[in-house]
Amino acid sequence: MNEPGYHIQFVFNDKVVSLSFDGSTELKPTTTVLNYLRSFPFHKGVKEGCAEGDCGACTVVLAEIKNDKLHYTTIDSCLVFLPMLHGKQLITVENLANGKELHPVQQQMVEQSGSQCGYCTPGIVMSLFGLYKNHHKPNRVVIEDALTGNLCRCTGYQPIIKAAEIACSIEDNDKFTLNSVKTKALLNEINTHSPIVIETAKQKYYKPFTLLDALRLRSQYPNAIIVNGATDIALRQTKKRELLDEIIDISDVKELKYFVEKQDYYSIGAGLQMEQLKLYAEKTLPALYQMLQIFGSLQIRNVATIGGNIGSASPIGDTLPLLFAYKAKVKLQSSITERICNIEDFIKGYRFTDLQKDELITEVMIPKPPVGTFIKSYKVSRRKDLDISTVSAGFSLLLENNKVKEIILSYGGMAAQTIRAGKTEQFLLRKEWSRTFIEDAMEILQEEFTPLSDARAEANYRSTVARNLLLKFFAETSL
Amino acid sequence: MKTANLYHDSAIKHVSGQSVYVNDIVASPYQLFGKVVYSPFAHARILSIDIEAAKQLKGVKAILTYQDIPGENQMGPVVHDEPCLAVDEVTFIGQAVCLIAAENEEAAYEAEKLIRIEYEELEAITSLQEAIEKNNLLCPPRKIACGDVDEAFKTSPHIIQDVLMTGAQEHWYLETQSALAVPGEENEMTIYASSQNPAETQAIVAEVLGINKNEVEVEVRRMGGGFGGKETQGNHVAAWAALLANATKFPVCIHLFRDDDQKITGKRHRFLSKYCVGFNDDGKITAYSVELNSDAGSSTDLSRAILERAMLHAENAYYLPNACIIGKAYKTNLPSNTAFRGFGGPQGIAVIENAIDRIARFLKKDPIEIRKINFYGIDKDNITPYGEIIKNNHLHVILEQLMASSLYTERRIAIDKFNDDNEFYKKGIAMTPVKFGISFTTAFLNQAGALVHIYNDGTVAVNHGGTEMGQGLHTKILGIASDALGISPEYIKISNTNTSKVPNSSATAASSGSDLNGMAVQNAIDQLISRLTEVAFDELSLLFPSSSIKKENICFANDKVYDNTNTNVGISFKDLIKKAYLKQVSLSATGFYKTPGIYFDRETGKGNPFYYYSYGMAVSEVKVDVLTGEVKLLQTDILHDVGDSLNPNIDIGQIEGGFIQGLGWVTTEEIKWDGKGRLLTYSPDTYKIPTVNDIPDVFKVNLLSGYPNEGTIRKSKAVGEPPLMLAFSVWLAIKDAISAVGNHQFEPSFSLPATAEVVLNSIEEIKHKIK
Repeated sequence: MNEPGYHIQFVFNDKVVSLSFDGSTELKPTTTVLNYLRSFPFHKGVKEGCAEGDCGACTVVLAEIKNDKLHYTTIDSCLVFLPMLHGKQLITVENLANGKELHPVQQQMVEQSGSQCGYCTPGIVMSLFGLYKNHHKPNRVVIEDALTGNLCRCTGYQPIIKAAEIACSIEDNDKFTLNSVKTKALLNEINTHSPIVIETAKQKYYKPFTLLDALRLRSQYPNAIIVNGATDIALRQTKKRELLDEIIDISDVKELKYFVEKQDYYSIGAGLQMEQLKLYAEKTLPALYQMLQIFGSLQIRNVATIGGNIGSASPIGDTLPLLFAYKAKVKLQSSITERICNIEDFIKGYRFTDLQKDELITEVMIPKPPVGTFIKSYKVSRRKDLDISTVSAGFSLLLENNKVKEIILSYGGMAAQTIRAGKTEQFLLRKEWSRTFIEDAMEILQEEFTPLSDARAEANYRSTVARNLLLKFFAETSL
Repeated sequence: MKTANLYHDSAIKHVSGQSVYVNDIVASPYQLFGKVVYSPFAHARILSIDIEAAKQLKGVKAILTYQDIPGENQMGPVVHDEPCLAVDEVTFIGQAVCLIAAENEEAAYEAEKLIRIEYEELEAITSLQEAIEKNNLLCPPRKIACGDVDEAFKTSPHIIQDVLMTGAQEHWYLETQSALAVPGEENEMTIYASSQNPAETQAIVAEVLGINKNEVEVEVRRMGGGFGGKETQGNHVAAWAALLANATKFPVCIHLFRDDDQKITGKRHRFLSKYCVGFNDDGKITAYSVELNSDAGSSTDLSRAILERAMLHAENAYYLPNACIIGKAYKTNLPSNTAFRGFGGPQGIAVIENAIDRIARFLKKDPIEIRKINFYGIDKDNITPYGEIIKNNHLHVILEQLMASSLYTERRIAIDKFNDDNEFYKKGIAMTPVKFGISFTTAFLNQAGALVHIYNDGTVAVNHGGTEMGQGLHTKILGIASDALGISPEYIKISNTNTSKVPNSSATAASSGSDLNGMAVQNAIDQLISRLTEVAFDELSLLFPSSSIKKENICFANDKVYDNTNTNVGISFKDLIKKAYLKQVSLSATGFYKTPGIYFDRETGKGNPFYYYSYGMAVSEVKVDVLTGEVKLLQTDILHDVGDSLNPNIDIGQIEGGFIQGLGWVTTEEIKWDGKGRLLTYSPDTYKIPTVNDIPDVFKVNLLSGYPNEGTIRKSKAVGEPPLMLAFSVWLAIKDAISAVGNHQFEPSFSLPATAEVVLNSIEEIKHKIK
């Protein structure tokens, strides 16, 4: 076991690599995996297409041990800081072939004419590799989901889908499967218990592995930025070129990654990645599942967390309107305190929450809705997938004798923060759930918000969509 | 493997991360990072530039302004109206003012912060409407006309008159603009460029450095996508990198950050088109007049030729007995707009396709009926407004085959039923054709060169003037060379495009890459074959004295050279080459090709600008969410004409890819500027090109078979651009679905792109009319 400290360790090219940040190299703790890889002459395969996780040209795969098995996930290497590799295996496009023999996903990309200019291809190949490792004979929906985060401007995607279908119908006995025992042994050599502490002249980066350590670091460094998947925070560096001087990275605090069904609510660890949450939600929280299907891309969902999405308090954060509709609560912990807060009270303004300087969001609690409750989520964006919503909504409705007993109409994209249509809700309460009243309510709703015009849409469009979504909700609940 | 089935010649390198792009090359451990400092104002006077503090920064090797340009301060490709670095005025946001070379990226960004440029903001024109109002023309208007349009309008039973806006489009090549400049001895400069036009890159680098073209070598291995965006604007980064390399004497690489690339480079021209169409009760067009107004941006670039192509495609596939086509390009304070797949063609075609759609709605007929009766005829009604006669017209056969294979009629009925049954979702369907003229309309550009070497081990290096940007040009050339020489592709290498190998090449553009370069390579190989046939005749006569060999029977195939009347009389290609070498026969040849019979008189608007036309049609079906305006593309069926395909996989890839790129343009790819000329949609966060989920659920692409194209390389046709315009089928299917909201009684408001916002606004307007 290695002692914690200034260095991180991960498996790369079949070896344990140790990186230190003691100033002997140009590496910073916030150097992205993309930039690290591209600093080698033999790892130029990984490409930067946008530096914001919107194109996937930089996709690589991480493998880590879960329940004694290697678990493979695709990530956008442009958004991932080096310490996030700690304890994992990094796999790039250059690693896939076995000598001269191409990996099945590579071979099919060749045979199906899946590459034209080739620039997005390494990222596509890695997404296909992730698909190959996780799904045997995937259907079209699964294939498309695996590729949503990879933009290709040449092919029109059809041959890539074909390549995925054929490659993933082949039995997985690739070299990664054959080498898994050795890989696990290498990974097990790495200490993933004691916090990593990196302090350079310009930056401090702390990476705890236990909640106790995370809370202790939080109280010790109250001004540090908390990152989980870093899919939002990393942009401050890659796009705005800010120096992130103090970071607590809680992405590997395993205690925060759970989904448990309780008597009357679902208990979700704040560090649970969106993709994991999506899998749990499929059978338990259908509206959440539906929303997560069009949340970012697989690469984003593999690292982004529910706690992070809430904590960023973005006015267009995709989960918030729905969590309002679910009447979710968040658990906030410090080293010495613990409290539970309604999600609506927690979100206090534009990217502003009630989180105290020594607290972490540790859990999200979603009450089981009363039987018969309709809960729906809507996201309207310029493009269906991998887009930020123009307007999003989370609605919940409980009827009694076809009269509205309870209703929540919550919207994103209509104000500086997620907001409920209070007047419209009041109007509809105790009224019959009918087209007539809905159409009256739409008029009230239209008056309730004054959204902005921006690069995504004009204010007028937002208002129209907001009112129409109410009609859509009615149409979908009055069958 | 047959050469028509060759995989992309770089495919294995692509999939294993081994293919090299400019930004992957490290020419020297001392290679510097180059950065451009650009104007934040759409129009301003430069009062002062202070670079002193930045120069002192550790790691900074050079900071250049216009005063440091040794040659001419110009990079305009056609007209010299584009300074390389701004002098005393900036005319768009993104115009280069200073250049930085530093040891690393961080130092370059730090240096940028220390550069002080004082501006005095001036009034700017940032919208096309404003440019039109102020008559801020780039060049004199152009006109193409036929018949007597005024008289025809007077007698037209019906007239529709309106305006159509078609939006800009960002190329979004995955590899942003990049260039690496490596200084050599004395004045020499080598540029590793991502350029569709290395010869022009060479010319511009020579100009800004004040040296001769023979001192500049430009090499292009491959581009990570071009789509027209690197036809002229790849030159800019090359010129900047060359200036920095020349000043520092170190290699300098510039690779634009995505946001910068989107902000500072030109786009597809947005157009505001005013049209008027006259027609009879059957829907036959009797008169058509259109004024195509394009937003050229701040300088000429290729705007004149693009406008010209828009005008030459204003009629698309339809015979216009009386037409008046006016073209006007306007200057605005935006980055100079440039080539983009289709090169104006899409903007011209959009207008008439929309007009036809309107005629059909007006007459309550299926739009296909209107299209059909207006199609160019086979023997009559086959003269274009610019006087070229349409030969080998495949419109009718494609329509017939596609109507049947796509089950258009049956689906139209099913869609009407669906629309009757559903309030909140409406479906729409449309078929649109494309007829696209192939050739550079600037006639002299239709030339190409090649240089083919056979080495004395029997391997071959093929050089040609075309560049590889993913379109598979090198793979097609490989197939041509392999078949022409009768040897396996593994013995042939298509070399990097290099100005030292093939001089004075034209841009790889106008879909002409394989037409022109394929012929030039064939020409070079024909010469070599002719020389080698002599050698083979002597050798085979010597080796097989009893056989009476005739020269005309000597055949090159299967890595052998033999008598095709007696295949046993043969010698391996490799052995033949050895013999030829020993016999002192030249094993290298240059090839050349020029397209015959092309001319166009810009004054009269008449001529024969195109060598031939490509045809294609698509049927698309969409489902529109009436409450949000969101669109789902359900099915697209395409039938496209590429003559005898050189490589069906590559051609289908071009068709699918072009169509999806067009799909983006007509739906989600909206470009917005604010009133100050600032681009609002400057990253993929807000600029949305299609993802895998946006392609049609059912996507069938077929090549028209049995219609070889005489007079081209192996009877093939060009493919690069035309399929993009098939996306109008989606655009008009969306309009059809909107129209269904009002039971096809009202003409929907419509523009391009048909974003969810445009669609919903149009639906709401119709709902309002119904009330």
